[in-house]
Amino acid sequence: MASLVLTGVGKRYGEVEALRGLNLEVGEGELLALVGPSGSGKTTALRIVAGLEQPSAGSVRIGARDVTRVPPAARNVSMVFQSYALFPHLSVAENVGFGLRARRVSKGEAGQRVRAAAEIVGCSSLLERKPHELSGGERQRVALARALVREPDLFLLDEPLSNLDAQLRVQMRAELKRLHQRLETTMIYVTHDQYEALTLGDRVAVLGDGVLQQVGPPEEVYDRPINRFVAAFVGTPAMNLLPVEGGRAGPFAVRVPASLAGRALEAGVRPEHVQLGTGDSVEVQLVESAGSETFLHLGWRERTIVARTGAGVRPAVGSSVTVSVAPGHVRLFDAESGSAL
Amino acid sequence: MARPSLPGARRRPRPERGGWRHIPALALALVFCLPLVYMVAGSFRKAGLPPPRTPELLPSPIAFDNYERAFELVDLGRHLLNSIAVAAIAVPLTILFASWAGFAISRLPRRAAAALVGISLVALMVPATALLVPRFALFKTLGLTDTWIPLIAPSLLGTSPFYVLLYAWSFRRLPGDLFEASRLEGLGVLGTWWRVGMPLVRPVTVAVAVLAFVFTWSNFLDPLIYLFDPDKYTLPLGLRSLAQLDRQNFPLLLAGAVVATAPVILAFLYVQRFFLQEHRELG
Amino acid sequence: MRDPERRGIALLLAPYLIGITALIVVPAAITFAMSLFEYDLIRSPNFRGLGNFRELWHDDVFRTSVRNSLWFIAFAVPLRLLGALALALLLHRRFRGVAAYRTAGYLPTIVPDVAYALLWLWIFNPLYGPLNLALGAVSGPTPAWLTDPRAAQAAIVIMSLFQIGEGFVVALAARQAIPGELFELSRVEGASPLYVLRRITLPLMAPVLLLLLARDTIFSFQANFVPALLVTEGGPPLYATTYLPLFVYRTGFEYLRYGYAAAATLTMFALTAAIVYAQYRIVRRWRRAFSF
Repeated sequence: MASLVLTGVGKRYGEVEALRGLNLEVGEGELLALVGPSGSGKTTALRIVAGLEQPSAGSVRIGARDVTRVPPAARNVSMVFQSYALFPHLSVAENVGFGLRARRVSKGEAGQRVRAAAEIVGCSSLLERKPHELSGGERQRVALARALVREPDLFLLDEPLSNLDAQLRVQMRAELKRLHQRLETTMIYVTHDQYEALTLGDRVAVLGDGVLQQVGPPEEVYDRPINRFVAAFVGTPAMNLLPVEGGRAGPFAVRVPASLAGRALEAGVRPEHVQLGTGDSVEVQLVESAGSETFLHLGWRERTIVARTGAGVRPAVGSSVTVSVAPGHVRLFDAESGSAL
Repeated sequence: MARPSLPGARRRPRPERGGWRHIPALALALVFCLPLVYMVAGSFRKAGLPPPRTPELLPSPIAFDNYERAFELVDLGRHLLNSIAVAAIAVPLTILFASWAGFAISRLPRRAAAALVGISLVALMVPATALLVPRFALFKTLGLTDTWIPLIAPSLLGTSPFYVLLYAWSFRRLPGDLFEASRLEGLGVLGTWWRVGMPLVRPVTVAVAVLAFVFTWSNFLDPLIYLFDPDKYTLPLGLRSLAQLDRQNFPLLLAGAVVATAPVILAFLYVQRFFLQEHRELG
Repeated sequence: MRDPERRGIALLLAPYLIGITALIVVPAAITFAMSLFEYDLIRSPNFRGLGNFRELWHDDVFRTSVRNSLWFIAFAVPLRLLGALALALLLHRRFRGVAAYRTAGYLPTIVPDVAYALLWLWIFNPLYGPLNLALGAVSGPTPAWLTDPRAAQAAIVIMSLFQIGEGFVVALAARQAIPGELFELSRVEGASPLYVLRRITLPLMAPVLLLLLARDTIFSFQANFVPALLVTEGGPPLYATTYLPLFVYRTGFEYLRYGYAAAATLTMFALTAAIVYAQYRIVRRWRRAFSF
């Protein structure tokens, strides 16, 4: 178990800069969720930590060691790939024990450790099977078992749940969290699903365009986004962003502090903070009923605002409702730079 | 000046590290090219000289007249034209019939298609020598010996069942909706094959064309047993005549060899990018 | 399937079916039937039952041919397979210039057989061919390639080693079909390159390699015709390089004993099938032992 420190890490592929000036610290035993849209550089960052790619700039430290130039095998990390990367011709037991046997661990000892790892992950009954006989969820467990059997300092997971169907994903997410609590190993979890990141991570790091946008506990990233990018990316449905004009943003009244008067501003309002009943009227364009809650798509002039309400609220399409938002729930952003104010 | 990557850009740039591989690769490439280099080098040697003392790469004195002589001695020019003619007929026919058969197989229901594939595989395994004599008897009975017909006839089965299977497999991989759509447009089977199928399997067509061309061009056995009139000889037979006439005159023979080899190599160099790079597409 | 479509498909299939029937199925059937006759295409066939086979059994030239072919396969096939595999493993990554190297490896394969044979006829010339000149220059052995029986057989094998283009391309495809992530994972797990080769690369390529083995065996049984005919002419004396195809050709077309040649072909076919089957069984046993 060790901490991870990335200092000024950058990666360039010819003309394209995939990562720029990444500074990140992950504490011992922490589960850091690294999240961002496709092309944000999160997988690149993970691969650099694994040692599969060399950074164009910056350094990587695992524990007290500088591992920037150290090959993957010597870093004592484990990686779970999105496609699990199970060897099709080996049994589950051989797959899990692959790293051990490759490092000349004796058959007996490897067998023991494999069984122990399988026990923890819950795939003990599958040890003699071949990957093609397993379901998606089972393969994922095997990949996890293989990752933890070597007791590495660091777990790296590259979108491990992306290939599972929705129900299974929810289940495996909880299991992963429990696994982390049990093992207390440092984990870096890469995903494009911000919901997954919020629920799993002790801390969440948001990457956009190769640059680290914000890192912090989930609540902080959600409630106090540091810029427009994070605000729009985190949260489903996305935060409503409206330009501020003369004390109003869309149908909402906005109180602009004197210090910011004269600046071009944008206001962000999360769907769950939109209150019905008072304020300006908007037209109900679409009603999405999701069982326990309802999403209303409301039109104001040419813009659409999404509101999240309880299950019973279901106005007719085409009717008008009134909306407002409490001042404390309005986030202000500089219209040009996007940073929060 | 680096740009930040575009959001959504799916990036998988394989770092192009050749590194240490260049050394053995270069060595191997040289070894493989060496015979060809010697073929060309040897063809420029002056004929009739005492044997060389060293394995020279660039002969001295150089002579260019071996080529002239080769063409004089056995009408190599005519043989060259014959080879070109035969290939020009056989290769397009091969593509036509192989793609037809492959297309048809891909459109058949499972059982019929499997049966045809099975037959093709068995046909592939039959040794050529088992076919020599009866085929000869067949063509002799039809009075077609000493013509090019026996050389071109194999294109009926796409020159090799292997090419038919290749086409069948490639057509099978195309999404079925394409063919539904073309049926709605009123295209018959032939129209579908031409307008929909063929454009989508271009790499396969290129591969088959090259392979068939190489096969037809190099074919020695069939011309050997079917052609008696030297005027009809293709290059392989012409080369053999050359060898029979002036057996020890290697510069001459090599000049003939170069004439026979150059077209094939040039054609191959031109299309090898479809072959040796895009293999990921076919595989 | 509707009627016009049925007709269209039948039409497309027609040339192929005619071709296969007329040029492969019927001739093959005739040959196998002919093996029971004595026939010279002029007089009518003469039934001999198994007489041809009995004669083959006692025919020294035939036995030599079979022996030669088997020796050739024993040497050439494994070496060719290894060569194709080595090339594929060396050149599968897309680095700069790899296309040129791959092309170089494939080039000798497309040289027309006759030109190829003449070329080697020169290279192998014991007195002034480049090979012996080069060997002599470094004081190595200078075998009498074309006049010594063993050397001649070696020469035929060497010639075949340069033409591994098709095997190379197939092995290349097989190597590239292995997902890259398996290799990345191996790096993270600390497996040495040799370990990866032994436990991952080769086992995963094994099915294709087996196919290549079988195909090359079949091919080698039949294909060394041109070199044997032109380069060594089936000699040096004692038929050292008379392989089965040459034997069949000579018997059929030069001695005009078609029935006899057919019997030889049938034997060749049976031998091929037997060897391929044996290969299949052996490799299957290996696979179980090493669990790949």
